Amino acid sequence: MSYFTVFKMRLRMELQYRGAMIGGILCQMFFGLILVALYRALYAGKPQSVPIENVAIYVWLQQAFFRMMLASDSELVDKIRSGDISYDLCRPVNMYGFYYARIMAQKLMGSLMRAVPMLVMAFVLPRGWGVSLPESGLGLLAAVPALFLGLLCVCALENITVAFTMITLDPRGMQGLLNLLMLTLSGNLLPLTLFPESWQKIITFFPYAQLLDAPIRLYTGEYAPGDAFRVYVLQSFWVVVLIGLGVSMWNANRKRMIVQGG
Amino acid sequence: MNTLRLYFKSIGMLLKSHLQYPSSFIMQTLAQLVMEGSEMMVVILIVDRFERLKGWSGGNLYFFFGVMSVSFYLTELFGRGITGDFPMMVRTGRLDTFLVRPRGVLTQVLCAGTDPRRITCIAVGIVSLIIGSGISGISWSFAKVLVLAESISMSCLLILGLFMIEAIFSIFSVKSVELVNAITYGGRSACQYPIDIYPLPLRALFTVIAPFALTMHVPAAWIMDKPLYGWPAWTAFVTPLSGAVVFVVMSVFFHLAMRHYRSTGS
Repeated sequence: MSYFTVFKMRLRMELQYRGAMIGGILCQMFFGLILVALYRALYAGKPQSVPIENVAIYVWLQQAFFRMMLASDSELVDKIRSGDISYDLCRPVNMYGFYYARIMAQKLMGSLMRAVPMLVMAFVLPRGWGVSLPESGLGLLAAVPALFLGLLCVCALENITVAFTMITLDPRGMQGLLNLLMLTLSGNLLPLTLFPESWQKIITFFPYAQLLDAPIRLYTGEYAPGDAFRVYVLQSFWVVVLIGLGVSMWNANRKRMIVQGG
Repeated sequence: MNTLRLYFKSIGMLLKSHLQYPSSFIMQTLAQLVMEGSEMMVVILIVDRFERLKGWSGGNLYFFFGVMSVSFYLTELFGRGITGDFPMMVRTGRLDTFLVRPRGVLTQVLCAGTDPRRITCIAVGIVSLIIGSGISGISWSFAKVLVLAESISMSCLLILGLFMIEAIFSIFSVKSVELVNAITYGGRSACQYPIDIYPLPLRALFTVIAPFALTMHVPAAWIMDKPLYGWPAWTAFVTPLSGAVVFVVMSVFFHLAMRHYRSTGS
């Protein structure tokens, strides 16, 4: 399986950046602490139906897997700008699959390397400040496959962003806009559980809510483990749609591609 | 004065060069608008759900948010050389060319970068200030306008000073140091809400080491007639000066660090 080899190579490469990782973890921990402190102060004035412990868990899991959302393949963007991407046409693999495997390895390793030490530290924090195990082990078990489906979803979204870059060549405008949309609608800026209830009914069906919001809600028990199957179906639906959309955009772009020579 | 003229001339030229690619510029400026707009949406949603934060009403929160975004993005607009480009200047050796010219290094670094896209972020901040002032029912007087102007300009100096820490690190390490972001961007995230809601360690950090509380919250709270910790009125005029202190101290360190600067040779 050539895609699997690409995946493995990329995993090893991502493991190399340990220095950047420690700085990133400390920075992310600090942001997590600030956010939890803010929500605790807000809850002191007016407690909500969502318990503060769950909000703290939400914040920490979002911070821990931050790298899963915002990691892009800078080499690929450079290739698009410089035109070196035409060499990739010579490879005996599907281009979309090739880059999908690469970005998946990058996001998986990058986030796991950060998430594991961060969550260990967040477990040590007192209850209501840090992360605690869910009341039923089932919640944890249900969250893991959901997180994996979320990863598949975010990689498909990333490839759609790249498809836009192929058209505009300047990654900053469109990429910036799509990433912002993702940060807001996936619950990174404000937990989706604290959005107005009427908004939540719609937002939770969006693809962005499938990345981290759905796994976190399974973990904290806001979605009962019995609902897990429904969540997986929705996630898989978006994975299929987003990959389908991405593949068709990549194919259309490949037809449009003009190699300048030289 | 001569230096100031030079600065504005360089910024003007850079601005022109940014406007050479209008569609890309407009797109990115819009992206900035959406970014700061969604930050403000979070505050609105929080106010909608929780109504108040400790002793602060929704209007007060908008006002604090406005002070922070206006100061932070003014700094990024005019101080891009320090807040964004400096590590790159060290890495590529562009800084070397500054050393042979008959002007201060810091001046030239500041002249070398601007980020006009931030203009929409500042606009969002101003809107938030106006809304906040309206809801809080602030009765404006000359002294209050003066304090607000002092607060914003001193906060800009403070933020510039904090970004200089990163610049100083990058003189020694060549790479940009992500960890320093905790105090700059972290400070922005934390201090767009009033300081007294945080536990003591965070409060100490943002009062003593990175005194956002002194340059922003003390004067802003006084303007809204809700003095922070019940401090007397004169503190609103004096404490923002700490921003200038941080800036001066950091420029001294910056010049000391420049003595140890070794070019990457590229």
